Amino acid sequence: MTQTERDATRRLDEALDRLPRSVNPAQDLWPVIEARLQSGGTRSRARWAWQAAAAVLLVVGSSVLTASLMRRDEVGVAGSPKPAPAAVEVTPAAYGPAYTPDPGYLAARQQLAKMLETRIDRLPRSARQKLEANLAEVRRATAEINAALALQPGDPLLEELLLNAYQDELAVLASVNDMTGTNGAVASPDEKRVQL
Amino acid sequence: MYDGQPDRGPEKTPRCVLAETDAGTELERARRAAEEGALVAAAARGSTAAFEQLYRIHVGKVYGLCLRMTANTATAEDCTQDAFVQAWRNLPTFEQRSRFGTWLHRIAVNAVLAQGRRRRESLGLDAPADELAASLADPGIADAGALRDLEAEIARLPAGARQVLVLAGLYGYSHEETASMLGIAVGTCKAQLHRARQILSARLDAWEVES
Repeated sequence: MTQTERDATRRLDEALDRLPRSVNPAQDLWPVIEARLQSGGTRSRARWAWQAAAAVLLVVGSSVLTASLMRRDEVGVAGSPKPAPAAVEVTPAAYGPAYTPDPGYLAARQQLAKMLETRIDRLPRSARQKLEANLAEVRRATAEINAALALQPGDPLLEELLLNAYQDELAVLASVNDMTGTNGAVASPDEKRVQL
Repeated sequence: MYDGQPDRGPEKTPRCVLAETDAGTELERARRAAEEGALVAAAARGSTAAFEQLYRIHVGKVYGLCLRMTANTATAEDCTQDAFVQAWRNLPTFEQRSRFGTWLHRIAVNAVLAQGRRRRESLGLDAPADELAASLADPGIADAGALRDLEAEIARLPAGARQVLVLAGLYGYSHEETASMLGIAVGTCKAQLHRARQILSARLDAWEVES
């Protein structure tokens, strides 16, 4: 670097140092902020919540329909063997501290998980293991995204990833529906269907 | 109650400044940090009064960051509001491992980037750069005219170079931190800063010749 360049660098640094870091807005923004705090969530949050709710409603809706069909079929099959106790349980997800999902979403998710528990029993052991591994993977990703969101709240990319992870979890749970079919028997033992 | 001034200058205090800092200033800084910690804790428990005090302390620096990054007053106001709303929502998860101001600035940067994505267009000037610069420069200081010109030149920089210059060149973030916040490679960050500095240096030289 030449002396001229060093001088130019020094001049620019000095000029930048003199710029005020703090600049007050022309109007007080607090009244609007306070109103938003009291009225609830932000737009991005609301969008996230609606997308999650829509996803869970879709899966719950299809499961309720399938479950009712299954019960009707079971009435007609006398002496069907009782399924073995579950080796895999749909345990509560560890979502991490940053983004606790909407209570309505959690309630719907629990309802879905409970309905699917009986169906998981009917899966072959290898498929159950695969399912368990997939759920663990999705929940690990969810917890990691939540941890990142705690450090960078509001990061739109992380929020998108979190929503995708929740939807992946629902997709895994819904795949149990597909695999067991409407009569409670395993429609397709192909483990690939459990994969994300 | 907390009556401290908003943070000024880079977050990382240079060693030479630290060496010159007397015990009284250190004590004052510690007192302010403790009181800010108490405000953060109260706000996390739901006190909007405490959060308003945090807003009053930090709004200048957050708005300055947003305005310089967006070069657009309306967008900067939106981003500032979004940043404080996001901060309020996430305060319960703030573990005070970093300073509240640093955490808040990251949220503000995310708000700026989110606004850009929502609009799906590059943020541009909503007023001539000179007018924007006038709102940034403090008319009470000696070389207000020169600083206003510099602000105008910063506002005219290409968006990528401007954002890197604001974060790394003005607000003291490292290349790694800046690259992480903007979602770019460290090499790109360095190149953008070099480009921004070259443009500004050329302008400074031109002014010197003119004067």
